[in-house]
Amino acid sequence: MEQLFLNGILVGLLISLISLSVYPVICLVRFFHFAHAVVIAAGAYFSFLLSRCFGWPMGIAIPLAILLSAGLGCLMEVAVYKPLRKREAKPIVFILASLGLYTVLQNVISLVFGDDTKSIRTGPVREGLNFLGARITPIQIITIVTAIVVVVGLLLFMKYTRLGKAMRTVANDANLARVVGIDSDRVIMWAFAIGSGLAGLAGILMALDTDMTPTMGMRPFMMGIVAMIIGGKDSIIGIVLGALLLAFAQQYGAYYLGSEWQDAIAFAILLIFLLFRPQGFLGKKV
Amino acid sequence: MDYLIHILILIGIYVMLSSSLNLVAGYTGMLSIAHAAFYGVGAYTVALMSLNLHTPFLVNLVCAIIICGIFGAVVGIPSLRIKDDYFIIAAFAFQIIAFSVMNNWVSFTKGPMGLPGIPQPNLFGWKISSYPDFLLLTVIMCVVCLLICWRITHSPYGRVLQAIREDETFALSLGKNVAGYKISVFVLGAMLTALPGALYTTYISYIDPSSFTVDESIFIISIMIIGGAGRLWGPVLGAVVLVMLPELLRFVGMPNSIAANMRQIFYGGALVVCMLWRPQGLVGKADVLRK
Repeated sequence: MEQLFLNGILVGLLISLISLSVYPVICLVRFFHFAHAVVIAAGAYFSFLLSRCFGWPMGIAIPLAILLSAGLGCLMEVAVYKPLRKREAKPIVFILASLGLYTVLQNVISLVFGDDTKSIRTGPVREGLNFLGARITPIQIITIVTAIVVVVGLLLFMKYTRLGKAMRTVANDANLARVVGIDSDRVIMWAFAIGSGLAGLAGILMALDTDMTPTMGMRPFMMGIVAMIIGGKDSIIGIVLGALLLAFAQQYGAYYLGSEWQDAIAFAILLIFLLFRPQGFLGKKV
Repeated sequence: MDYLIHILILIGIYVMLSSSLNLVAGYTGMLSIAHAAFYGVGAYTVALMSLNLHTPFLVNLVCAIIICGIFGAVVGIPSLRIKDDYFIIAAFAFQIIAFSVMNNWVSFTKGPMGLPGIPQPNLFGWKISSYPDFLLLTVIMCVVCLLICWRITHSPYGRVLQAIREDETFALSLGKNVAGYKISVFVLGAMLTALPGALYTTYISYIDPSSFTVDESIFIISIMIIGGAGRLWGPVLGAVVLVMLPELLRFVGMPNSIAANMRQIFYGGALVVCMLWRPQGLVGKADVLRK
């Protein structure tokens, strides 16, 4: 039972990390950026490329992979979303374009690296450390610490920095932001850079824990979206609580029903929220 | 020759799938990522009935239509409460849950092992078994499906659907029962997927959950969008182009392992390019996806 609780915390924080990586983007562009799922996988594959194919040390490979993921996010914004925004396309057009981007990029990864599982782990698999009657691996500890740092960091960033305030302004009202001299395109670009960088980081952490496949991003991304909806998509605390609720429901559901039903449980919770409380439990009523 | 007929039958299946989606998404403006799930519900209904109950094809087909309609109502009701991208996520959720049930309820659907040996259809003593027989059945079903779509879209009912797509509040202000229209067209779209579902099941005579994934839903959406949403002939053209073109990759001698990925890249790329430069698709009306 301790293990179940610990897994709940771990998965919940990982989902929070992914949910928060897409949070700046969705806040500003107001559509579900499906191609974000492929950035998660891209982060893992960039680190694989740099550390395994080029033989660079992890200390260089991981930061560079995060930067490359951020670049990939910006590239999508410049090449596709920005022209669509200039044309004032309908939300549905953005979503279709992002589904298309997802399909293309995911298959590019499969084409280049193959569909089989790749690993960036070094050394043999060690038995986890004992922690209050549950087992935890060093990489899981790193994941938990990183996720907490990101949550706190993003909270402070959105509240106190100039860029964070600008993001909140654009998210609130893009026209009004322009009136006070905020360049909304530049702010959105930053949101893509920060969000995609965090997604790359999440992908690398996942790969260090459980290796990588080209489709590894979609499932956690959808969980992140579910967490965002059930938590209320305008509040960082809400998102973290939503992610933890989701993770515990999944872990305990898997314990009683079998692990193959995890996805069904998550999306059943989502449907319940969409039907009865679409603004999430901390969201404001629209 | 058999290969050519096989491609034609596939085109027919996708014409029906994307035409039924066109009613929901192209004409009414509700983009549903759950279409492959309805397709799967129809296919599994026919397969399970013919394997377990040994009922004739026509009975199975009617049951599949009814069951797809019921599921359509179950998913369509959320569309009353939520709009736009939230509706997309809700449909997505149904798609994931449906796939999960097909894949995990092993005692009922045999899970990833799939259901082999589904008997070929028998219509009023006409035993459908050869490729040309199936082609004729496909053509009949396609004509029926397109006639239904044509009749719906050229009726007062269809005009209200298009009004809802253009401006929901305005349609409401004219005293139209927007919720009723939305649910009924969603149910109708789901019912129509039972036709390709039944055809696919009996034609391939084997089904497993991998034919009814999210990717399949995205493919159906691509066909509708690239062909031209909101036009009767859009999905037909889209299905011909998107099913035929990747087959050409086979003839330029591309190995199979690469061809599968290249095909997906082609679909996705076509969708992005279409959104950037021609959101109305090949023959679509200019204003369906434009502001």
